Amino acid sequence: MKSLKLLLVLFLVVLPFAAGAGQTEKKAKTIDELVEMYDSSGCKDCHAEIYTQWEKSHHARPLMGVKGGLMLTPLATKGATAFSPDDPQRATIKNFPCFKCHLPQALISAEDSVAVELAQALVAQDATKVAKLRITCTVCHNARAIIHKRELGEPEKGVLYSSKKDIDAHPDKTFTKVKKSAIMKNAIFCGQCHGLGPNLEFDQPFQCANLYGSYLHSYIPAGGTHTCQECHMKKGDHVIAPNFNDDKQTSELLAQAISLDVQTLGYEWLRKAKDYTPKVVVNTKITTTAGHRIPDG
Amino acid sequence: MIVTAKSPDGTEIGKAERHYHPQATNCRDTKMKYGAQWKVANLRDTSLQPYQTKADTIEFDLPAGVRTAEVTVDLVYQAVNPDNSYPIHSVTNTVTLDR
Repeated sequence: MKSLKLLLVLFLVVLPFAAGAGQTEKKAKTIDELVEMYDSSGCKDCHAEIYTQWEKSHHARPLMGVKGGLMLTPLATKGATAFSPDDPQRATIKNFPCFKCHLPQALISAEDSVAVELAQALVAQDATKVAKLRITCTVCHNARAIIHKRELGEPEKGVLYSSKKDIDAHPDKTFTKVKKSAIMKNAIFCGQCHGLGPNLEFDQPFQCANLYGSYLHSYIPAGGTHTCQECHMKKGDHVIAPNFNDDKQTSELLAQAISLDVQTLGYEWLRKAKDYTPKVVVNTKITTTAGHRIPDG
Repeated sequence: MIVTAKSPDGTEIGKAERHYHPQATNCRDTKMKYGAQWKVANLRDTSLQPYQTKADTIEFDLPAGVRTAEVTVDLVYQAVNPDNSYPIHSVTNTVTLDR
């Protein structure tokens, strides 16, 4: 009887953990737990400038839209979208397909209870709580750093991936190593989220950014050779402009990429004998050198 | 792009707009949608394309007695809604029929 009990304990308690090592990571039950799991605030100790740039970026407020708009509110509002739950209390991760890009760590590491808490925060318009959810350093520099998973495996725990070089002893308690990512300098790295077109893999398709599709199908065929990073992350800038909360900088960036030529003409048009119509003609030509359609995201 | 023509006394005598952006529906009806959670696919795309020039011609007939107009072309980027605009270029030309 005693050995039967022991066997039962082994079967119920020990085996699931052994089998799940590396696969069944503990998931966050609350927004705060998820924030803690992907907390990158320690990065600023050594990378202060980059961290400050990131804090100004849309990556630091992926659920806040432009100028503080809680853009996911319809997803938490009954009947507003096909994804919205009838009751925020019953929200699941599946009610937030936007997590694919706007909070990828939620798909990896969050229980449905995080979706409930977020839905409730959105209904309550609790911007402070929603703003906690950010695409932190570790999302790009770990979770999204490898796409050739059949060849290169999953991103390793405790490893940060960089566009530059391997570092065997990275002075951080959690991320003790840096490995060079195969894709971090390539446009496809950004293309993981800055989309191809309709997201048809969901049970209800939706379309967010088309930007990478535009890059591949318009910019590259037109002879473009730059990567996203070469234009939007010059010298490693992690604001990754545009920052639509910064009107001046956004206008300047757009003016760099877009030219406007205006030609005007005044004359009297003769429609029929003796019937002149004074007319102004305005000819405009707008040209863009951006690596994608404008607008897109 | 907003093109405005004004007479010398400042009266607006003409206004035209051109909108350059992808336009999507939910593929179930013909209404354009804003917002990723409602859009499914583009059905028209008037946006600015890489290395391509978007050319437009806008004409205004001048009212009787007006022979000079100040024409302003404002190119703006609008994010989320038309009230949230980022000026890109503004060009003003004075056009006169008198020589």
